[in-house]
Amino acid sequence: MLLIAAVVFVCTDGAESAQSFDQPLPGARSPRNASYDIDVRLEPADRSLHGTERIHWRNISANPTSELQFHLYWNAWRNAESTWLRERRLGGNTTTPRTDAWGWTDIRTLRVRTGDRLDALTARVHFIAPDDGNTADQTVASVPLIRPVAPNESIDIEIEWSAKIPRPFARTGYVDDYYFFGQWFPKIGVLEDRGWNTHQFHSGTEFYSDYGVYDVRMTVPRGFIVGASGREVSVTDGADGTAIHRYHGEDIHDFAWTTSPEFLVRTRMFEHPTLPHVRMRLLLQPEHAAQEDRHFDAAAATLKNYGEWFGAYPYENITIVDPAFQSGSRGMEYPTLFTAGTRWIAPQRDIALEEVTIHEAGHQWWYGLVGSNEFEHAWMDEGINQFSEARTDEVAFGPRNYLSRRYFGGFIPWVFKDIRVQRQWDEGLAGYRAQAESDAEATPSFRYWPSTGGNITYFKTALWLHTLEHWLGWPTLQRGMSTYFERWKFRHPQPADFFQTIGEAAGRDLTPFFDQVYRGSNTFDYGVQLLTSTPAGAGRFRTTVVARRFGEAVFPVDVVTTFSDGTKKTERWDGVERRIIYRYDTNVRARSVQVDPNHVLMLDVNYTNNSRTLQSRAGEASVKWSLKWMAWLQDLLMTYAALA
Amino acid sequence: MLPWRDGWRRIAAAPAVIAGVYLVTLLAAAPLATAMGSAMSEHLGASLAADDAADSVNYDWWQEFASQGSFLNLNSTFTPSIVGFAATLDSASSLLDRRPIVPAIALALAFYVLAWLFLQGGILDRFARARRIGAHGFFAASGVFLFRFLRLGLVAGLVYWFLFAYVHEWLFAKWYVNATRDLAVERTAFYWRLLMYGIFTALLAMTTVIFDYAKVRAVVEDRRSMVGALIAAIRFIWRHPARVVGVYLLNAILLLVVVAIWAVVAPGAGGSGASMWLGVVMSQCYIVARLIVKLQVLASETTLFQQSLAHWGYTAGPVAIRPAPPVVDSA
Repeated sequence: MLLIAAVVFVCTDGAESAQSFDQPLPGARSPRNASYDIDVRLEPADRSLHGTERIHWRNISANPTSELQFHLYWNAWRNAESTWLRERRLGGNTTTPRTDAWGWTDIRTLRVRTGDRLDALTARVHFIAPDDGNTADQTVASVPLIRPVAPNESIDIEIEWSAKIPRPFARTGYVDDYYFFGQWFPKIGVLEDRGWNTHQFHSGTEFYSDYGVYDVRMTVPRGFIVGASGREVSVTDGADGTAIHRYHGEDIHDFAWTTSPEFLVRTRMFEHPTLPHVRMRLLLQPEHAAQEDRHFDAAAATLKNYGEWFGAYPYENITIVDPAFQSGSRGMEYPTLFTAGTRWIAPQRDIALEEVTIHEAGHQWWYGLVGSNEFEHAWMDEGINQFSEARTDEVAFGPRNYLSRRYFGGFIPWVFKDIRVQRQWDEGLAGYRAQAESDAEATPSFRYWPSTGGNITYFKTALWLHTLEHWLGWPTLQRGMSTYFERWKFRHPQPADFFQTIGEAAGRDLTPFFDQVYRGSNTFDYGVQLLTSTPAGAGRFRTTVVARRFGEAVFPVDVVTTFSDGTKKTERWDGVERRIIYRYDTNVRARSVQVDPNHVLMLDVNYTNNSRTLQSRAGEASVKWSLKWMAWLQDLLMTYAALA
Repeated sequence: MLPWRDGWRRIAAAPAVIAGVYLVTLLAAAPLATAMGSAMSEHLGASLAADDAADSVNYDWWQEFASQGSFLNLNSTFTPSIVGFAATLDSASSLLDRRPIVPAIALALAFYVLAWLFLQGGILDRFARARRIGAHGFFAASGVFLFRFLRLGLVAGLVYWFLFAYVHEWLFAKWYVNATRDLAVERTAFYWRLLMYGIFTALLAMTTVIFDYAKVRAVVEDRRSMVGALIAAIRFIWRHPARVVGVYLLNAILLLVVVAIWAVVAPGAGGSGASMWLGVVMSQCYIVARLIVKLQVLASETTLFQQSLAHWGYTAGPVAIRPAPPVVDSA
């Protein structure tokens, strides 16, 4: 066992933390090295925010730093040449934002306090573009310091800023009197041992930040309901018909909030025999009032299943925001708060509502608690969570998970009552098949091709995790994932940390597997080339099976031959050679052969060629489906020809 | 109500017309369906995936097949929307949302529209005469009016192009977008969308009715000038708006009833064998019902025109005058 562990350690990338001093503070869950004290005022009249913030920041890297770096995410919509908008165009969306759609953040003043010393550094603020050198991009600001900050030394940064709220971009902005604020305040980057990790805002990736304590006071018009990260501490009346909502959150790495006078507020308690109770607060759109139970049930299913599988949700509350129509804020995660997303007409047997709720609630584990770098390794939150969500979907809502499609501008849904959604193809298999070779997963996520990156980030990861589950068994994978969660919660893991932990749980060297699915972009495709079963005299039959590896990637598979009397011969093929031949001399004829009959290798891009039978029903199937297709075509022709 | 009832009488007296248009609808779809079946059979080969596909749904295979490159992009049309009532929703949504059509389907549609333009001369002549005219008479009328209807079709095509290229754009990409841009409530946006559909459908219906009556007048009055027929049709509709709209609404209600029944009884994916054939029979009954509605539109419009303006003997072809039998001379 020790030897295996040693081999695993040698064969992985040598996992280690990105920051030398990332251990929790005494009495805290996290290092709390980036804490924010914020006052912000919403001005609905001109759709603006005005705020002051004090960041208590500690350098937890191994090296001193002579500069500070900040994210100003909303500047992605300051001009058309920002990296975010350039990448969006590259991905195929060439829509030019309307004149009232733009948003931005302006730093008015910036001062750094070290002990008794106060340095006014506003004039030193300048923009940098560490990822692409785009001089038009203003999403990262750098501030050279007068005096470096030593490792483990703390400073206070005081910032006064204003922001123009955009029309919805990247799930932030306003529509009518609904506001959602994500990435809305100047936010310090992450200083790692190898330097600042402060990426520009990219259209295909998300965020990365350190843990801390957030104390935020939001001034909004009286009558507006507020939901935010953390928990509500107080509501007091402000001047000019406003109310000040104070929220406090500990050991979180981001803070989002929403406000609208229209929300229906519902609360319910999640209770479980072994997991901590959690107060669930739902901010619901009035037109979705009938879907209250569905939101709570999905959130509770996440708290239960993720809690049992990976580790308990440690906060005492969670806020579910049902976003307004056209707010663009659907399906997004923030610490202790997330946005779900439903439609006015949402059939029970279409679990899109549950899926998005589980997915975003699930990010509390894979993003919120385990704080991976979403710019560089988006698969570590999105992919792992996609897999975890699919398991929860199946366990909690599988019996009513049917395929559906929407018509008439997406308003009218139709559920296909005889097409049950199954994990092996629900996990974006079709999307992955088409884009399998577009990028190696090890490529930094923000460098993925914008229009195909999602298939790699979400679906390839989910598919290889499903493959691992089938291959190693759920107890082993679950043990690995829960260990990974326990080891890396409130910290910033690297890919090697995940691989190492799963390898440890499996008790074997999984490097060859991760080399293929993570470091490479080759595809898996095993298939049957030949099946013959001919009389060999004396009542015997000679059966020949040829299995082939059509793809470049390698994985061990079973080759199962079934005979006419129901007996089976199972061969374990390591899948390395391009082909393998099996011959059997039996007293019955063979009926069929299957490569990977249990669909262990869910990354196989062509599963139809995985089997061959001597009693094909392709004729029956093709007649049936072509006749159905013909009726559809006749309907279409008549509909259009009604104009003739 | 009288023209509508009389329309039914004329259709009932012309079962061969129903059979003929059904045959054309079948012929327009069958070649592509055969090609699709061959492609499916080839893709499935001797795979066990065919077992699930035959007995129920193998959606993994389905997606794999649909994503294969194919002649004129035919495979991409193999979507879940082909199953049951979704096909009807998909067709209507495709038309009203102006969704692009793949080249293979566009070719089939072009053939089908041409076939209708050809048949409509014979169909209207048959309904106008309200008596058997035989295959020869039917196709003679079809031939006579084909080129006239093609000319009329060119004008109709221009109008439809204007409606789909400009009016649709204005309604859905401008008006609807501007009206709903600040809406935070989906239900309200849905009502706006309904309004757009209503306006656009009304415009399509109005255009269709005008060109239908132009064809009716061309056949009944044996008009050669299609511009004249068009003007005459507009004049007729202008002078009899209530009756024209009434007949049209009755036919629209009839269509809705047929579609509603189909929504309830439309079979799902089903299996192979008897259940498959039952599904085929049901879907083809629905196709026939839709075609009867289309014929009823033409028949009731013909009847309405004849009852309102023309007289019963006022039809396209001259009445055949047979020579008197020799016995008359001898008398």
